[in-house]
Amino acid sequence: METAELKQVLKKQIVEFLNLLSVKPEDIRDDEPLFGEGLGLDSIDSIELIVLLNREYGINIQDPKEGRKVLVDINTMVDYIEKHRTK
Amino acid sequence: MLYFHDYSCISPQPTYGNPVLGQLLASQESKLFAREPAYSGIPPGILRRMGKAVRIAIGAALPLMKDPAMGIIIGTANGGMEDCIKFLDQIIEYQEGMLTPGNFVQSTTNAIAAQLGLISKNKGYNITHVHRGLSFENALLDAIMITRENPAGHYLVGGVDEISSYDYNIECLAGWYRSHGIGNEHLYQWEGTGSLAGEGASMFRVSASPAGARAQLTGIRIFQGEDLTRVEDELSGLLAEPGMNGQHIDLLLSGENGDARMLPFYNTVEKFMQRDTAIARFKHMTGEFATASAVAAWLACHLLEKQELPDHMLKKGLVGKEIENILVYNTFKGRQHSFMQFSKPLPAI
Amino acid sequence: MSRIVVTGMGIISAIGDSAAKNRQSLSAGICGIGHIELFASRYAGILPCGEIKIPTDNLKQVLQSKEPGVTRTSLLALHAVREAISDAGLTPEEVSSAGTCLIGATTVGGMCLTDELYHDAHKDKEGSEYLSSYDCASVNMYLQEHLRLKGLINTINTACSSSANAIMYGARLLRNGFARRAIVGGVDSLAKFTINGFNALHILSGQICRPFDRDRSGLNLGEGAAFLVLEREQDVPHKKQLASLSGYCNANDAYHPSSLSDQGDGPYLAMKGALESAGLSSADIDFINAHGTATENNDLVESTSMLRLFGQVPSFCSSKSNTGHTLGAAGAIGAAYSILSLAHGEIYPSLGFEQPITQTGLKPATDYRQMHLEHVMSNSFGFGGNCTSLIFSKS
Repeated sequence: METAELKQVLKKQIVEFLNLLSVKPEDIRDDEPLFGEGLGLDSIDSIELIVLLNREYGINIQDPKEGRKVLVDINTMVDYIEKHRTK
Repeated sequence: MLYFHDYSCISPQPTYGNPVLGQLLASQESKLFAREPAYSGIPPGILRRMGKAVRIAIGAALPLMKDPAMGIIIGTANGGMEDCIKFLDQIIEYQEGMLTPGNFVQSTTNAIAAQLGLISKNKGYNITHVHRGLSFENALLDAIMITRENPAGHYLVGGVDEISSYDYNIECLAGWYRSHGIGNEHLYQWEGTGSLAGEGASMFRVSASPAGARAQLTGIRIFQGEDLTRVEDELSGLLAEPGMNGQHIDLLLSGENGDARMLPFYNTVEKFMQRDTAIARFKHMTGEFATASAVAAWLACHLLEKQELPDHMLKKGLVGKEIENILVYNTFKGRQHSFMQFSKPLPAI
Repeated sequence: MSRIVVTGMGIISAIGDSAAKNRQSLSAGICGIGHIELFASRYAGILPCGEIKIPTDNLKQVLQSKEPGVTRTSLLALHAVREAISDAGLTPEEVSSAGTCLIGATTVGGMCLTDELYHDAHKDKEGSEYLSSYDCASVNMYLQEHLRLKGLINTINTACSSSANAIMYGARLLRNGFARRAIVGGVDSLAKFTINGFNALHILSGQICRPFDRDRSGLNLGEGAAFLVLEREQDVPHKKQLASLSGYCNANDAYHPSSLSDQGDGPYLAMKGALESAGLSSADIDFINAHGTATENNDLVESTSMLRLFGQVPSFCSSKSNTGHTLGAAGAIGAAYSILSLAHGEIYPSLGFEQPITQTGLKPATDYRQMHLEHVMSNSFGFGGNCTSLIFSKS
């Protein structure tokens, strides 16, 4: 899958997985922070996203510090998925 | 005893906002689903996580939260059951593997009172009563006590439950719901056992002060047991209480639910009423669920204020003069019972 | 206002099946946390838990419980309630009189039967014997039937503060004249549901928990039950009194669904409110049975709020290091341990502590010690920011 396509897929997965009611996948910018002021996600969401990476891409992140590095924005997530995906 | 200053209800009938009760809305596939409004007051970031029970409870409560309250008291038998089953499904489907915690957090019954506290920034008393068919009544009793302890304060008290696939299936297996049959307009003509599933959220702003009150609770009895003499004893005990003595009951609001096993209880109470007490029913509007009595409480407040009793509610008698006192009797599965008497508030002097 | 006294108590936990055995274990610094043996879970052998090593069938035999559909949670509750009733010397007539109320807390209820619940909820088969045993209320409905109770019965679930709220609620019923005596407490049994729930939140530790330690790595779940008998002193002037319940307060942190705010408004307001309701000042508190779950968030926030209220924080411990976190039972077990401390003039060591939390520097008591105690505070904080503090005083 091309990076651009993966980004679109991932945005759709995030919106569905976290039930982001007022957000359209295409509205999420690639460099928009997921947490804090950007999308406004919180600590429970970060765990949910780690589960998403596990279920959709076979990625197993155990260390929360690792998680914080990956879950910055769409760019960092896609970068990590491309390097570590097992499915 | 307890004064009701404001109230709000999301139920399977148009009870929310500007209530219209004259026309009965029909059940769908033996279920009476709550009519959910657009939740403009709930931030989308919080709304996205809410299951239906949390949503309708908060939706019903928000209009009452504009003025500060000293605490939040919720009665719910099951809280966010649908989230509970979603989490349970994950445990089994992923064989206890990596699971999402959101459903787990929302599945705790106190998620409703907690979210209400969170949204309204309320740091006061926050409690959740979960005693099945007496969850709301216990919440009311708590409200009676806390408004005595803090006479200057207003509190939010309410009852809520949702139809969840979990609860619905289990109650069907146990014979409490009929999964097929006649619609709600014929609920009381059924023969046999089982009722219709329902859901709803009813919220009240209460205090110990009559100033500006729209209704008051003048008596309450909460008890358990399966024998009819206990029902009689409790009712005569209640009617003899000082606050109740000599008051004429204009309307009995009965929790009759189409289940033949429950009729002896309701008949016992009806027989106790004076000849000119009218009898009305509400479960064809709400369906049966553990906190349906909270909708009955809302209806009682509404009827006292608006004096409009829809024909489809009336079982017996006519309301000739003004309705001043309404007695609600409800039993959940013939084991848990409650009487609540609502009255017009005394004119403020 | 009437003085509320504790006239009896019963405890069952991973460190003993009676109040006396719990006291022995606490005094000796015994930890009851280890591997799960009594039910199947992927995490048996991985996540340590405070399991009571009595199989459910044995509990049924000991308690002569023959009714169908009874869950482990209900049995643990019955075990503790029976001990409390007998400790308070209540006659069967008193127990089943209309003036005796039962206020029980639980968060798991019958969901300890996670797999049975799954099958019933999906209508897989005809339906099991547990159809009316899954909800929280099922525990007290069972106690009502088994003990022939006629008074007021109520179930409270505010997550991990549930049973502290049940105790507070019972005392208020007595003071408001709605009951003559109150059996109050809480229960929870270990369940796949809660183990997976807390594990999904990444707050379970793979090691034995270390409350208030700098390097703590999360909590261990436990199971148990504790119940107290509360009466008004004026009604029982000649009765043995274990302690009095002198203060209580519930407050809400209103910050996050599953964690406490940095400044700890909820814990602070609960502790402060309890002091006010007891008419005491912070200097009057001799000992605190802290909530101390050993999660990153709880222990830091609880320490911060203790410092905020007390300045000089009195001796404190967390008995979660003995029993694990027993959720709906935790507040009642903490209360019962506080009463044991008061009644016997002794404090029990907090286990697993080595280094204080850097930001707060607070050290829990790590040795058994005899000391004169007048007032002991017991803290319970739960999900949704639900915080309750109780104060017990020497009778």
